[in-house]
Amino acid sequence: MIHMDNVSKAYSTGNPAVNEINLHIEKGEFVFIIGPSGAGKTTLFKLLLKELEPTSGTITVAGQELNHMKRRQIPKFRRNIGVVFQDFRLLKDRNIYENIAFAQRVVETSPRRIRREVPQALSGVGLAERYKAFPNELSGGEQQRVALARALVNKPQLIMADEPTGNLDNQNAWEIMKMLEEINEKGTTVLVVTHNREIVDAMKKRVITLEEGRIVSDEKEGGYTDEV
Amino acid sequence: MKFNSFLYSLRQGLKNILRNKFYSLASLATMVVCIFMFGIFTAIVVNVNHVVREAEKGVAVVAYFDEGVTDDQIAKIGDFIRSREEVENVTFVSAEEAWQEFMPIYFGTEDPDMAEDLAQDFAKDNPLANSANYQIYLKDVSKQDQLVKDLSQVEGIREVSSNNTVADTLTNFNSLLGYLSIGIIVLLFAVAVFLISNTVAVGIAVRKEEIGIMKLIGATDFFIRAPFIIEGVVIGLIGSGVPLIILYVLYQRMQTFVSDKFGMLTGILSFIPAGEIFRYLVPVSLCIGVGIGFLGSMLTIRKHLKV
Ligand SMILES: Nc1ncnc2c1ncn2[C@@H]1O[C@H](COP(=O)(O)OP(=O)(O)O)[C@@H](O)[C@H]1O
Ligand SMILES: [Mg+2]
Repeated sequence: MIHMDNVSKAYSTGNPAVNEINLHIEKGEFVFIIGPSGAGKTTLFKLLLKELEPTSGTITVAGQELNHMKRRQIPKFRRNIGVVFQDFRLLKDRNIYENIAFAQRVVETSPRRIRREVPQALSGVGLAERYKAFPNELSGGEQQRVALARALVNKPQLIMADEPTGNLDNQNAWEIMKMLEEINEKGTTVLVVTHNREIVDAMKKRVITLEEGRIVSDEKEGGYTDEV
Repeated sequence: MKFNSFLYSLRQGLKNILRNKFYSLASLATMVVCIFMFGIFTAIVVNVNHVVREAEKGVAVVAYFDEGVTDDQIAKIGDFIRSREEVENVTFVSAEEAWQEFMPIYFGTEDPDMAEDLAQDFAKDNPLANSANYQIYLKDVSKQDQLVKDLSQVEGIREVSSNNTVADTLTNFNSLLGYLSIGIIVLLFAVAVFLISNTVAVGIAVRKEEIGIMKLIGATDFFIRAPFIIEGVVIGLIGSGVPLIILYVLYQRMQTFVSDKFGMLTGILSFIPAGEIFRYLVPVSLCIGVGIGFLGSMLTIRKHLKV
């Protein structure tokens, strides 16, 4: 699903944010990416989404080589990937239903399918009843579930979540992680950046640790406790 | 783009307009003024042109012959005049005809019997014996000076007279008005483009977050841009439609007003019917409106929406 070979990314200022990374993630994997703030995790995500161009190295995502991809092919490529952020990024001026329908409108889904699939996506995250609510009427955990439903509604092959539980209390964090795990069990590849030590340790997934732009460990059933 | 997507973009575009009312209104007002002035100037220029052309029809260049010129020579001169491109038609007026035409004016009476009596005395001695002439009507009055110059050189022609001051003045006035209005309108159009591009820029700023999400979800450039293009085009459409309606009503009112108040002038001041002007003015104005709206939003989109 993801292949990065000798990938580096240097911003115009300072040391490279991503430094000579080699990373291979197969279809159907669940992978945590951990590491201190400023380690280059978000930069790595942006490279995978072709929001940023690498300074050197080659990247392949979902069978598509990003280096040679033309600008106008980017939208189609991104439809393979569902993204979730720490700050939810819901549209505050429309209700929950419209927030999810938005993701389908953007990729020109037919109204019939939108009417069918938005309620499905909402009940998938346990919010079928709240479809009329606006984002600011929901708790943080609920908002993140809406964001997750939005990421899923177009049925991507890959979900990438950048600190999805960073703004949530422990119980809500667990709920989101459990949902991501369920999604993964149905076949979607999942990539999660997190600082939540307890969850990473408990879930026994592949854990990749980044430090100063380099991969310092990559363990099949890893956790924070293994290092230190 | 699918039809449903178009409807969605249309809704978003209209939302943009309503969301920043201040800028939208400013752009709209400028558009309205632009098209309104464009319409007024067009109506004036077209009507003055019409009057000039009507006036031109009655104006002829008259060529008089040398004394003792032969009929043969006259015929040759006639052929020469007819061969010229700018000449619409030529009529030969014999001395007798000239006299007949002139008599009533000369004797200060319209009564043919009285004129006839008076004319008896002149019968043997036509005071206009040398006034046989060609009356030359032109297709295009602006070519008149050249023709007069050329004809004066022709052998057998004594004098060429022309009276073109009215037509000349009107034509000059009209082209001056034309240049002036083009200048003002171009300036206003530039202001309109500027204002519309600012309006769209505000819309883009407001939707910055939404645009960011759209890009990550996989919206095409076209889909992201469409609402903003629609925003500009709708402002352009409304901004040209409204003044057209006002102009149409005004034009017809004025036509009735002028023919009521200055009835005796209707012969000279004949207006071109509204339908004839608006048949061209409407599509041209709408195209200008849409074009300005499109241009305004495109300029901003290219600057601020690097997708
Ligand atoms: N737009 C940017 N311009 C310059 N430097 C940046 C930019 N974004 C991130 N960086 C730098 O790159 C490094 C990695 O940042 P980031 O990928 O955001 O780390 P993480 O997500 O792991 O906290 C940091 O040193 C950060 O300061
Ligand atoms: Mg980060």
